[in-house]
Amino acid sequence: MGKRDRISPAPARQGRLLLFLVITVLGSLFLPVKGSAESGSGDYNIRRGERFFKGLLPFDRKHAACASCHNLTPTDTLNWNPSAWEISVKYAGQDFESFRNAVMEPMGGKMAEVHQQFNIEDEDLRHVKAYLDSMATKGPASARPTFFNLMLFLFLGIVLTWALIELIFIRRIRYRFVPVILFLGAFGWQAKMVVEEAIRLGRQQHYAPDQPVKFSHAVHVGEQGIDCMYCHTTADHSKSAGIPPTNLCLNCHVLIREGTHSGRFEIAKIIEAAEKGENLEWIRIHNLPEHVFFSHAVHVGAARLDCNQCHGPVEEMHIMRQHADLSMGWCVNCHRDTRVDFVDNGYYDTYIKLHEQLRAGKIDTIRADHIGANDCMSCHY
Amino acid sequence: MEKYWRSLEERDNPKEFKKTELLAELEHKKAVHTQENGTSRRDFLKAFGFTVAGSALVASCKKPVEKAIPFLIKPEEVTPGKANYYATTYYDQGEYCSVLVKVRDGRPIKIEGNDLSPISRKGTSARVQASLLNLYDDARFKSPLKNGEPVSWKVADEAVVASLNKLGSEGKMVLLITPAIISPTSRSVISSFLTAYPNITWQVYEPMPASGILKANEASFGRAVIPDYHFDKAEVIVSFAADFLGTWLSPVEYTSKYAAGRDLRNGRRMSRHYQFEAALSVTGSNADIRIPCKPSEETAILADLLQELKKLSGSPGTVSKLTSHDLTAVASDLWNKRGKGLVISGSNAPENQTIVNAINQLLENIGSTITFDRSLLALQGTAEDSAAWIAGLTKGQVAGIILMDVNPVYDHPEGGSIGEAISKLELSVSFADRNDETTSLCQWTCPGTHYLESWGDAEPKTGSYSLTQPVIQKLFDSRQAEESLLRWTGNEISFYDYLRQHWQTEIYPRQNEYINFTDFWNNTLQKGILELPVTGPSLNYSDQGLAEALEKATPSSDGWELVLYESIALKSGKYANNPWLQELPDPIAKISWDNFASVPVKWAEEQKIANEGVIAINGIELPVFVQPGQAENTIAVALGYGRTIAGKTGNGIGKNMFRLVNQRNHGREYFVQGLTVEVTGKKYPLALSQTHHSMEGRPIVRESTFDEWSRNPASGNEIREEHLKHYTTLYDKPEFPGHHWGLAVDLNSCTGCGNCTIACQVENNIPVIGKEQVRARRIMHWIRIDRYFSGAPENPKVSFQPVMCQHCDNAPCENVCPVAATPHSSEGLNQMAYNRCVGTRYCLNNCPYRVRRFNWLQFHGNDKFDYASNSDLGRMVLNPDVTVRSRGVVEKCTFCIQRIQEKKHLAKVEQRSISDGEIEPACVQSCPSGAFVFGDMNNHDSRVFRLIGKSSDPGIPGDPRNYHLLEELHTLPSVGYLTKIRNTNA
Repeated sequence: MGKRDRISPAPARQGRLLLFLVITVLGSLFLPVKGSAESGSGDYNIRRGERFFKGLLPFDRKHAACASCHNLTPTDTLNWNPSAWEISVKYAGQDFESFRNAVMEPMGGKMAEVHQQFNIEDEDLRHVKAYLDSMATKGPASARPTFFNLMLFLFLGIVLTWALIELIFIRRIRYRFVPVILFLGAFGWQAKMVVEEAIRLGRQQHYAPDQPVKFSHAVHVGEQGIDCMYCHTTADHSKSAGIPPTNLCLNCHVLIREGTHSGRFEIAKIIEAAEKGENLEWIRIHNLPEHVFFSHAVHVGAARLDCNQCHGPVEEMHIMRQHADLSMGWCVNCHRDTRVDFVDNGYYDTYIKLHEQLRAGKIDTIRADHIGANDCMSCHY
Repeated sequence: MEKYWRSLEERDNPKEFKKTELLAELEHKKAVHTQENGTSRRDFLKAFGFTVAGSALVASCKKPVEKAIPFLIKPEEVTPGKANYYATTYYDQGEYCSVLVKVRDGRPIKIEGNDLSPISRKGTSARVQASLLNLYDDARFKSPLKNGEPVSWKVADEAVVASLNKLGSEGKMVLLITPAIISPTSRSVISSFLTAYPNITWQVYEPMPASGILKANEASFGRAVIPDYHFDKAEVIVSFAADFLGTWLSPVEYTSKYAAGRDLRNGRRMSRHYQFEAALSVTGSNADIRIPCKPSEETAILADLLQELKKLSGSPGTVSKLTSHDLTAVASDLWNKRGKGLVISGSNAPENQTIVNAINQLLENIGSTITFDRSLLALQGTAEDSAAWIAGLTKGQVAGIILMDVNPVYDHPEGGSIGEAISKLELSVSFADRNDETTSLCQWTCPGTHYLESWGDAEPKTGSYSLTQPVIQKLFDSRQAEESLLRWTGNEISFYDYLRQHWQTEIYPRQNEYINFTDFWNNTLQKGILELPVTGPSLNYSDQGLAEALEKATPSSDGWELVLYESIALKSGKYANNPWLQELPDPIAKISWDNFASVPVKWAEEQKIANEGVIAINGIELPVFVQPGQAENTIAVALGYGRTIAGKTGNGIGKNMFRLVNQRNHGREYFVQGLTVEVTGKKYPLALSQTHHSMEGRPIVRESTFDEWSRNPASGNEIREEHLKHYTTLYDKPEFPGHHWGLAVDLNSCTGCGNCTIACQVENNIPVIGKEQVRARRIMHWIRIDRYFSGAPENPKVSFQPVMCQHCDNAPCENVCPVAATPHSSEGLNQMAYNRCVGTRYCLNNCPYRVRRFNWLQFHGNDKFDYASNSDLGRMVLNPDVTVRSRGVVEKCTFCIQRIQEKKHLAKVEQRSISDGEIEPACVQSCPSGAFVFGDMNNHDSRVFRLIGKSSDPGIPGDPRNYHLLEELHTLPSVGYLTKIRNTNA
C-alpha cells in the first residue's frame, strides 16, 4: 500500500488568502515603500519579496513578473518552468549568492534567454529569497478545489425540494407543469450523476497528475525515439513494467543537462537525487484495484501487444495520462477480440483439440478468451 | 464396511451425535445475528442507502494518490514483481531443515523445502513453515536492553566486557549456555571466546535432550553420537514411543524416508511398522500395529523382546517373561528380516537405549539401517551435564551467565530456582531475540537476529554442511550472537567475513570439485548444502551396561503414569507466540489453542468424565480429552504450553508441564509415576475442531491391507467400480481444451503432520481467528486434515485424510451462487471471485465436502483479532499475489492459482509447454512424505494422470487405488485419493 494523500478542500484558508491578497494590494498602493532592506523586519521582507515576485510593486519594469512564468498555484495546463514552490525548496538551504547567480547569471538555454535583460537589484532579490524561504517552510499554496459536481448536486437537491414543496404546499405557480418539469429534471439529473459517478467510482481515466519531475514522454519517446523497453526494462518478463531506477536516467543525463523545454531545473532534480541517494517519488497513474492481478509479461512478452494499445499515444504526451479506463469491461472485450499466437508459441501445444479444430478448419482463429483469458481466476486471486 | 468415527460420541450414538452437531452449528449461526454488533436488517438497508448516496458524492472528490518509488540503483538480481529464492538453513529446537526462502521485493514471504538437501529433501515441518512469522513478530527486541531499558550496543559491549574481565580477574565462574551448536563456525567463535575468557564454562542445554541415546551409545559403541537411521531401507520398524514422524530427532528427514519405504505408487515394497506407546502420537497413528503400553513398562518389554530374539537365534537364556505383551510376531518379523529391521526408542533412559542397541546388534541392523558414518549432530547435550551446572548455579558457585537461545527458567523442571539464581548473579546476559521467562531476569539483553537475517553454517550430520544466509536487512537494532561474542573477544571482524575465512581454511580444502574458493563459496551458497565424503568410524559393539540395564527391567507398576510429549505445533514451546502454530489443530486430538490431558476411554467412562471436564494432576488443573488409544492408567499432556512471557499471542495459553519432568538419576525423563489424579467437576472449554465440517458418515476413507493389495490392487476400493458403472449424466461432458488440473493424495503416504495446513496458511494469507472463533466452527484453514478412527476405542486404527476444495467439474457450489461468484474455469478449477461474493453462503451449504470458509468477521487488521495481521510488521508476511479477504466473503482452496498462473505466464513468455511437476501448490511443494502429486490430467505422461486418470471420464480411472470423495454424487472432483494400505500381520 502506498502512502495516501488526500487533497482536502480548505475554504477557510482560501478566504484568508483572498483577504491577505486584498490587503497586500491595497497596502502596496497606499503605504509608502521603504527604501532600505536592512531596516525592515523579516516579515516585512517576506511581504515585499512576495509583492515583487507577483509584480505588484509599483516601479518601472522592463520584464514580466516572476509569477508570470513561475506558478504560485498548481495549474491545469503544462508549465515547463519550475514553480515558485519548487524553486523555494531547492534554494531554501542555499545562500543568497547562489540564488542570485541562478537568477542573474543563468547557465544558458531558455532561462538565459528570458533572464537576459533582468535588471534586478540585490535588495529586491533578497526579499524574493526571503519570501521563497518562508514559502519553503510553509508549503505551497494549495490548488482551488473544484466543487462543481458537489455544488451542482446540492443545487439540484434544493431545486428538487423547492419544486416538491411548491407542488404540494405553496402552489403559487399557476402552471403546475413548471414545478413538475423542474422536479423531474432535477431528479433525473441527480440520478444521472449518481449513476455516472458510481460507474466511475475507482476509475481514473485521463488521470494526469503533476509529477515530481516534469518528465515528458513526448520528448523522450516522440522526439528522441527511445524504445519503451529501454526504461521499462521488465515489461516483457515481469508482472510490473518497472519504473526506471534513477541511475538509468543518468545513462543519458550524465551528459544531457539541459532540456529543450524545461531548461536545467528539471534534469538537475534527477542528478541531485542520484547524488544525494534520495528516491524520486513518482505519482502512480495506472492504479488497478488491489484484487486485480495484471502481468505485463504475458501481454508484452508473450502476446506481443504494442504498449500504446493500452497506454495510448504516449509519444504525444508531455504529461503522462491514463489513456484507457482500465475497467473490467475494457479488459474482457479486448480478450474477446485479440488473436492468440496459437501456432507459433510452443506453450499452446497443450491445446491439442483446438489445434485439431484449427487444422480441420472448424475454427479460423483462437482468441484470448478461448484459452481462458476471461476466466475469473485469470486475474482475480 | 469398516465403521469410521471421528469422536467417541459419534461412535457410540451416531444419530444423537448428528443431532447435537447440527444443533451446535445452528446455535453458532444464530449467535452471529445477535452477537457482535446487533445490527438488524433495517439498519443494513438504511446504511446501504446512505452508502450509495455518499459514494456518489465521494466519487466526485479525488482518489487517493498512490506513489510509485523506483530503485535509485536497481540491484542486478532484483526484478520488481518477481520473487527470488535463496537457500538457507533452519535449525531451531533441535530440528534441522534445509530451506529455500521466497523473497518478493525484499521481503521473505514463504519458506519452501530445498530439494537438493539429502537430509530434509524437499520437506519441511509445520514449525519450519511457521518460523517465518517469527521474523515479523512485534514481540522482538528492538535494541539492546539493560534491565529492560534500551541502551546502545556500545554501552552494552563495554559493560559486559568490563564485567567479564572483572569476574575473570577474580577467578569467578561464568557459564555460557547454548543449545547444541551445529555450526562449525559458531563453534570456532565460541572456542575463541572461551580462550579469551578462561573463566567461562560452556554447557549445552536442551529442553528435550537425547541423553539416553548418547549415553547408551557411548557405552555400547564407545562414542556418544546419534546414529543415522535409514527408515527407507528398513522393512520392519519397531519404535518404542519414538515419535519420529512428529518431533523425534529429525522428523522431516525420517518422514520422507519412512514414506519412501512405504510408497506403493512406484514400488511394491512396504515396511511394517510396530509402535509401542502410551499416548497416541502421529507416529503411532501411522503404525501398522500399535501396542499401547505404559512408559514404565518399556524397559521390560525391550528386555522381553531381546529375550524372544535370543530364543530365535538359538541361544535362549533362562530369564522369565516380564510382561504380558505377546511379542512373538514382532520378534519373528524382526528375526526374518535380519539386517533390514530397525528398532528405536524415544526414551531418555540409558538402559532402554542400551537394550535397543543390543537388539539391533543381534539383528545385524547396525551397519545397514543404522549407520554411524554420518551421525546426527542436531542434539548434543545430556540431561546429566545440565543437572551438574544447574546444581552449581543454584548453589551459588557461579557468578555470571551468558544465555544463547535457551530458556531454562521455563523449560527445566527446576526453572523456578534457576530463575532465582540468575536474578542474583553479578552478570547475566541473554542473546534471545524476543523476551522470554529467562531473558526477562537477565541484566543485559543483547538481542540476536532471526535466522533469516543471519549468516551462518550448519553441520547437521557429520560431513553434511549447509549455509545460512540473510534474506532481509535486519529489521531492528539487533546483532547476531556470534558477532557479539566476536566483539567481546576483541575481534572487530564481521561474522560474514569470519564465516568465509573459516570455510576457506577448514572446509574448502576438503573438497576437490572447485579449484577456486569464490566459485566454491558462491555455488555452495546457491545450493545451500555441501556433502563431503566421510570415512565412517569403525565402531565395535560391546555389551557394556547391558546386564545392569536388564536388571532395571521390572514388570509394570500400578497407578497412574503421566506422559509428557512435545506437541507437533509447539514442540518445546519456543514458538508459543506464533499464532499460526497455536491455531494448528493437534493432528490426533484436533484441539488448538490449549494443552489438555488425554485420558483413556475406559477410565473416562468409569468416572463419567467427558471432554472439557477438568482434572487435577498433582494439583495442576487440565481439561480432559478422552483419547481413544490412550494406554490404560496413563495420561498424556503436551509440553510447550503455559508460557508466561512469550508475547501477546503466547502468554497464558495452556499449562506448563515442564515442572513435572522426572529427574531420576540426574537425567530427565518425560514420564512421571505415582500421580494423584482428581476429578474436579469443573469445565473448561476447548477449541476442538475434529467434528467440524462433517461428511455425514459416508465411505470417505478407504483402506486395505498390504496382502490384499498385493493380490488385488483395487482391494478396499471395490465400491468405486460400482460407482463408475452408474456414471451417467444429463449435463454435457465437461471439456477442458488446455489444462485440466488435478491433485492426487496418497493416503498411504500422508502422516497427518500438519505441514500442508501451515504452508497453505502462509501462501494464501489465511487469517488466524483465535480460540473463541475456532470453537464457533469458523476455522479458516483451506486444507484440513481429517482424522478418522476405526475399530476398538481402546486401540483404534487411525486414518488421516487431507481435505481441500475438490475442484469438482460438476460442482454443487457453483450452481447455487446467485451472483456467479464461483464459476468453473476452462482449466477445471472451481474459481472464487471474492469481489463478486456477497456472502449468501449458499455455496457453503451446498458443498458436500465442507471445504468452503466464510469470513464471518473482519479477521485482518482488526483489534479484536490481535494476532499477526493486526500490525504493520505482522502484515509484512502477506503474499502480495493473493487478495486479503475481508468480512462477508467466502474463500477456499484455489489449487494455489497464483502459482499456476505464475508458471503459465513464464511458459508463455518462454514459448514452451509446461513440464510435469513444474507447478506445485504450497501443500505439494513442502510435503515431507510426498503424499501429494499435482499436475495436468490432460497431459497423459504426467504423474497425476497415471495416479488418478481423468476425473471427468469413467473410462480412465487411473490407479486401481484411486477414488474420489463422494463419487456417487457425480460431482466429478479433480482431487483423487489413493487408498490407505496397512501392512498388518494378521
